[in-house]
Amino acid sequence: MSYQEKKTIVSVLAAIILIAAYCIYAFSRVRLGTADFGDLKFWAITILIFIGIGIAVTIIIQIVFHILLSIAIAVRKKLENEKCDDRDIEKTIKLEMVEDEMDKLIELKSMRISFIIVGAGFVSALLSLIFYSSVAVLLNILFISFFVGSLFEGLAKLYYYRKGLKNG
Amino acid sequence: MAKTYEIKNNIRKLRFFANEMTQQELAEKASASRQTIIAIEAGKYTPSLELAFRIADAFGVEIGEVFECEVKGE
Repeated sequence: MSYQEKKTIVSVLAAIILIAAYCIYAFSRVRLGTADFGDLKFWAITILIFIGIGIAVTIIIQIVFHILLSIAIAVRKKLENEKCDDRDIEKTIKLEMVEDEMDKLIELKSMRISFIIVGAGFVSALLSLIFYSSVAVLLNILFISFFVGSLFEGLAKLYYYRKGLKNG
Repeated sequence: MAKTYEIKNNIRKLRFFANEMTQQELAEKASASRQTIIAIEAGKYTPSLELAFRIADAFGVEIGEVFECEVKGE
């Protein structure tokens, strides 16, 4: 498995954890009666907090992932050849993390899927406003569609890395 | 029936004749990732013209020796 695939799996897992955490927190508050769908301030604060958490978690997970991957590469290199020095290890780590045209193309194609999902989420959110007349439902659909979009973006990347991109 | 163009490559053969050059070595010479070289060699990815030239340059041959086009249909 390549570096890009591993990185994508980490991002997908982070997105799943964040969606689950948001749903558990927000909807358990509604079920317990400490918040309701009419309380727009509660939803605004909750969503803003989770956006902040999302950014922080993504940065932390990526840093930890890079550290662990670098350690794994260094250990593997040392086991293969005990005489290799730090420069060799550094070079191997750099080569492992190279991003080229195929990665960029896969990213663009996956991002398109993400945009479609977010767009569908936006339309669903507007429709929900027509049928349920609740702004909180609209906010939730929009917010969740962003997470689902990033989740599918990751899954699409994994698919393209496995299947390949024939004829561009 | 429309014509279809299938790009085939001789990278495996050329690597063999280049002292069994590894995919990593080729990736370094062509300034690409090993993953991309693996995908091109397996026919899962069609490289850009620039990368195709870089691969040919890494082997020191003409681009036509690395990539071939098979035309199918009328």
